[in-house]
Amino acid sequence: MEQNDKLRRLETFEAEALGFSGQLFRVALRVCRDREKAEDLVQETYLQAWRSFHRFELGTNLRAWLYRILFNVYYSGLRRHRLELAPIEEAIAETIAYDPPTPQHLTDEEVLAALERLPRDFQIPVALADVEEMSYREIADALQIPLGTVMSRLHRGRKLLRMELAGYARDAGYRVAN
Amino acid sequence: MDCRDFKELLDSYLCGELAVETNHTMLGHAERCCPCRSELAARRQLRESLRRVCSREKMSDQAMESLRARLRSDATERMGNKTGWRNWFVRFFEMRSLIPAAIVAGLLFLIGGAWGLYVLRRGDINDRRTAALSPEHIKALELSASLIDETASDHRTCAPYFINATKPAEMPNSVREYDPACVRLDKVAAEGAMGLTLRAAHVCGHGERKFAHLVYTRDGQLISLLVTVRDSRALKAGEVPPFDGLALDAQRFTYDHLALGAYQTARHIVFVVSELPENENTALAERLAKPVINHLRSAELSSIGLNRIKILREREK
Repeated sequence: MEQNDKLRRLETFEAEALGFSGQLFRVALRVCRDREKAEDLVQETYLQAWRSFHRFELGTNLRAWLYRILFNVYYSGLRRHRLELAPIEEAIAETIAYDPPTPQHLTDEEVLAALERLPRDFQIPVALADVEEMSYREIADALQIPLGTVMSRLHRGRKLLRMELAGYARDAGYRVAN
Repeated sequence: MDCRDFKELLDSYLCGELAVETNHTMLGHAERCCPCRSELAARRQLRESLRRVCSREKMSDQAMESLRARLRSDATERMGNKTGWRNWFVRFFEMRSLIPAAIVAGLLFLIGGAWGLYVLRRGDINDRRTAALSPEHIKALELSASLIDETASDHRTCAPYFINATKPAEMPNSVREYDPACVRLDKVAAEGAMGLTLRAAHVCGHGERKFAHLVYTRDGQLISLLVTVRDSRALKAGEVPPFDGLALDAQRFTYDHLALGAYQTARHIVFVVSELPENENTALAERLAKPVINHLRSAELSSIGLNRIKILREREK
């Protein structure tokens, strides 16, 4: 009886939540930079989500909730809290004042390579905003950082991405890769 | 808007994060400015390209299968058999980073345990106090049906007027004429009213009974705190017992979908009335009524004291 209830609840959970697995995986891949680790992270995220599914209010933002769990799982494995900027990365972002025009006719490979060269702390907000089309507010919730921080990271991250693509960052002697 | 502003805001524009008016200004600028127009097109292309390259990545079917299997076994396994516990234990030691947290949790547990023991012991004393009340005593404390009817009806007829009241609610000074102990009742109750919104504070009545009435709302639910005089009509026995009901938990009543929790002091009866489920209402009553009861009790004690002094002075004359 109780068992049946539980399985029925699991079916609801799967129907509601598994649809986001593609998105979660893409973000996990940005975070882990490794397919296998990313798959593990997504699996762990879903397990945790299922275990606290009874606390989730249906009808509220399930996607944001799943992202929050994903980053919690990730952070707890890292022993490092939140996305913290290493001082040197911060410095690079500060020094680049020139904003070149965005190059046109880029190949997908160039774009992906440039994105992957971004420091993770910029790469993830950019991926959440421009790939997953999350709102700034949702990103702040998922990463558990203030809205202002999200906006400044997006600003710098996108700028760095454009610099990478324009070849400026490397030509100017800045190493953006980690 | 100049070209620099335009470039600064462009990404937020593409994400739909700008206000409608700003969107118009952006479009207006792009229409007039050719370089900015091509920058807009380039960034839009870049965004689309990002989305395209990233969307190619999919989780492998194998990983999805194993995820489903893990969920299923988690749902069936955690039905109280031993492996669940063992897994939990093993996983705990895998996550070394949790050990400091576990130590903190252990300490908290100890403190909580000590506190729990203290509360239990205190509860013990309360139990003994309750035990001191004989069945006859408890019978004497029973509230009359007419009082329940008047209280519930007052909540029903009066509280809904204030459900959206926004005027700052404060007990008017005229309450002094009704009962000096109820002056500042709203301030006294505020301590237990965390999470509730005070909508009204006044004196009102139903039939012959008068109440000091605080109307609260929480999530659109009306909650009334009503204080009335503990007179002979209020009690089933028709006479006021010389002892109060302080040793009792809330007396609970239901009346036509309303839940009532009642407390008695020597001279007052305090009700908390709402349409919440009975248990929730009782829990709320306990929180809300406690500071009120303490306040009424000390007011009663001091007024008894004053009366004594008055009587003594008169005797001296």
